[in-house]
Amino acid sequence: MKKIILSLAVVFVSLVSMAQKPEFFKTMGETLGQFSTCKNVADFQALGNKFQMIADVEKTEWLPLYYHAHCYIIMSFMEQTDAAKKDSYLDVAEKSVAKLIEMVPNESEVFALQSFYYVARLVVNPAERGQEFSGLSGQAVGKALALDPTNPRAQLIKLQGDMGSAQFFGKDPKSFCPQAKELLTKWDNFKPKSPIHPSWGKDQLMGIVKGCQ
Amino acid sequence: MKRSIFYILLSLLCQIAFSQTIITGKVTKEQGEVLPGANVYLKGTYDGTSANENGQFIFKTAKTGQFDLQAEFMGYEPVSRKVELKGDTIRMNVQLKEAFNQLNAVIITAGTFEAGDKRQAITITPLDMVTTAGAKGDVYGALQSLPGTTTNGESGRLFVKGGDSEESQTYIDGSLVYVPYNPSAPNLSTRGRFNPFMFKGTIFSTGGYSAEYGQALSSVLLLNTNDMPAEDQFDLSFLSIGAEFAGTKLWKNGAITGSLTYNNLAPYMSITPQNYDWVKAPESKTGALSVRQKTGKTGMFKLYSSFENGGFTINQKNLDQGGSPFDYKLANDNYFMNASWNGQLGEKWAMTSAASFTNNKDDIRFNQTTVGKRIVGVHLKNVFSHPFTEKFTLKFGGELFAKTFSQNVQMPAEMHYNSFTNHTIAGFTEAQVYASSKFVTRIGARVEYSDYLKSVNLSPRLSAAYKVTGNSQFSLAYGWFYQNPLDDYLLYTNRINPERADHYTFSYQSSINKRTLRIELYYKDYKDLVKTNGVAFYLPSSYSNLGSGYAKGLDLFWRDNKTIKNGDYWISYSYLDTKRDYRNYPEKVIPTFASKHNLAVVYKHWFSGLRSLAGINFKYSSPRVYNDPNSPIFNGEKMLPYRSLDLSWSFLYRKNIIFYGAVTNVLGFKNEFGRRYASSPDSGGNYPSAAIEPGSNRFYVLACFITLTRKGDANQLDKIE
Repeated sequence: MKKIILSLAVVFVSLVSMAQKPEFFKTMGETLGQFSTCKNVADFQALGNKFQMIADVEKTEWLPLYYHAHCYIIMSFMEQTDAAKKDSYLDVAEKSVAKLIEMVPNESEVFALQSFYYVARLVVNPAERGQEFSGLSGQAVGKALALDPTNPRAQLIKLQGDMGSAQFFGKDPKSFCPQAKELLTKWDNFKPKSPIHPSWGKDQLMGIVKGCQ
Repeated sequence: MKRSIFYILLSLLCQIAFSQTIITGKVTKEQGEVLPGANVYLKGTYDGTSANENGQFIFKTAKTGQFDLQAEFMGYEPVSRKVELKGDTIRMNVQLKEAFNQLNAVIITAGTFEAGDKRQAITITPLDMVTTAGAKGDVYGALQSLPGTTTNGESGRLFVKGGDSEESQTYIDGSLVYVPYNPSAPNLSTRGRFNPFMFKGTIFSTGGYSAEYGQALSSVLLLNTNDMPAEDQFDLSFLSIGAEFAGTKLWKNGAITGSLTYNNLAPYMSITPQNYDWVKAPESKTGALSVRQKTGKTGMFKLYSSFENGGFTINQKNLDQGGSPFDYKLANDNYFMNASWNGQLGEKWAMTSAASFTNNKDDIRFNQTTVGKRIVGVHLKNVFSHPFTEKFTLKFGGELFAKTFSQNVQMPAEMHYNSFTNHTIAGFTEAQVYASSKFVTRIGARVEYSDYLKSVNLSPRLSAAYKVTGNSQFSLAYGWFYQNPLDDYLLYTNRINPERADHYTFSYQSSINKRTLRIELYYKDYKDLVKTNGVAFYLPSSYSNLGSGYAKGLDLFWRDNKTIKNGDYWISYSYLDTKRDYRNYPEKVIPTFASKHNLAVVYKHWFSGLRSLAGINFKYSSPRVYNDPNSPIFNGEKMLPYRSLDLSWSFLYRKNIIFYGAVTNVLGFKNEFGRRYASSPDSGGNYPSAAIEPGSNRFYVLACFITLTRKGDANQLDKIE
């Protein structure tokens, strides 16, 4: 009996000491793991809250802020009707993106995210914002590709933009299919710097390639 | 027994080992509504959670000691509370206060239609000016589908809330445009001088505007030109009435655009039926240059300069000589220059400087008479603004309006030359105070002195807005407005004073999800209007400030961007009740420019398959009055109602090529704007007359806009996307 109690006590003590260590990687990993379970605006908001909390502790890390902005951009896409709400989510994302650019001005992923953010602004009101935000989005993705031509997310955002505009002008967006397929085959060649670096986008690309068939 | 001891020990151990504290509570707004999604966490740790749909939160932490519990939610001031973690349960409810943010705070909307804002509370945008059917690509034409305006088909100018067209002023980038309209023949419609593509934003204020603006009794139209162009480009526009070529070149932080425009209505008029006999169809040549330069971190310098030369000759019936026809010839030279700079001066001060210069010459010849008119105008303005706090902003500034107007009339037997020069200097100040994000007041005053009239005026201005709910608000505006009398009177006298109008405006606006409703009630009290006694126009004693009048009405506006997919419509209705005694009126009567009921229905539909934006537009104005000198009742005659159904079609052929077509008055409603009369009766004692008709029953526009860039994918109507 005593043995059991003792061994349990040892386990608990070691758990406590582990929890007291700043486990940035572990927490980030766990929080990122929840991405796939998020289904609605509230889920993403809760997830964004976590990243916000982590960003607050880890003032020199850019990844928590990156995912914080990413969550709020996704929220704007998930919100179905209320344009004012969409804009309010994007106001939050905008601040994080601006901080990111100050923090890591040479990070390709950040500009790819900024481009994605502009697309979200455009989608709120395409008629009014089409010209301004398609231009801004194009500039941002251009910067992302200049910093790292192999960044698959930047290539994906550019591809989506090109396909959208082809469709709009009555050209066949499928002319971009070979490009999409090529990007998919190369996708896994791009190795994120760590397991918690951005790696999203493959599902969207597979969706596009599927649409090509 | 052994087992229970084990569990007790275990739970005890858990407590000691983890010393877990449970923190639970509820996050609400000040008014008690819950805030789902609020972030609650211990500052500096990874411990925290989000409030659930009932605003409740619960989380455990293994930390001990003093920590800050932070609660935050977008749009609210974060709240931080000290907590002592010692392994028990902490219950804590947190109230969050809405953060003050001018972007989301209430804005004063009484009398104002603002456009070009990236926010949702948009009522009309610059794009509307181009795509509204019936506007014919004219800034003023588009504004005439908004409430508070009355369409006067024989003028084309803006008539706002019972005000004459001279009572409206146009400002570009903060400075006055002395001659905003193209010259036109008597009783024929004109249009604005400026291409709507030049502007990124407009504010159309139909009353109760800021102390910053003076010398306008009825309305101000504030046009803001585009900022920096995105890339080098070359624009070609071909219209059924002319062509334009424009080139833009960028450099670091700056850009220059040069354009040449040539319009000639002769080919168009030769193939479409016209109601008048044009000897020489309207023709104009314009050269314009615009420069943009960013200065420092925040500053922007803009310069626009244009020279236009135009003219026409029209053959009209001379009612005084038994209807024998004569030629009326007009030649116009207009030079306009406008410059502005705005930016920050240090951390807290913002400054806007604006200047404009106009030199406009009209040379008119008819029936052995020549009339030369010349306006030389300068406007200088400087405005400072300083936000003392987020909620209190003070604005002040000064301006100078200098104008010389001269008129030279030569007839076979006589010749008159008259001119005057006036300098009006003005100073103004205005404070904007937010009591909260729901309530704002703006209090200002303006002083003006005219050296020609030797008059000093003080105009108080007051406005306020209160947000009832997130989406709806009430606004009030009040003020005194002064304007110098008509140039035609000032040529002969300076013994009159500026005219005055007091505005009382009450407005309600609700904007929910791309649907906007606006209801506005107003009353305008006109004082000191100039009257002429009809004895002799050249005697100063013929003019007095004894006139007066009123205008009251109801304006309704409904815009819905939502109900119809890819469709957008608005309905504008204005009820106007006005009478005035001014100019040569014998008593207080309804003026000729006022319609009791004005209706505009505008619909636009985006056909994505056809890459086309189609517009349809219906306008109705109830019959206006006019004066028949043969009748004892002044302004006793009624003209036909004004009706027009207009269509437009914009087609995006390529990303850089747009085709555009429009027809006004498709159904061919008969529109007539009263009659004009001879200045003296014939031998039978009757004043002969002729109907005033529009230039043509229908107007057609065909156009093609091409934009060439290095990338080859920009266009002038990109916004349609």
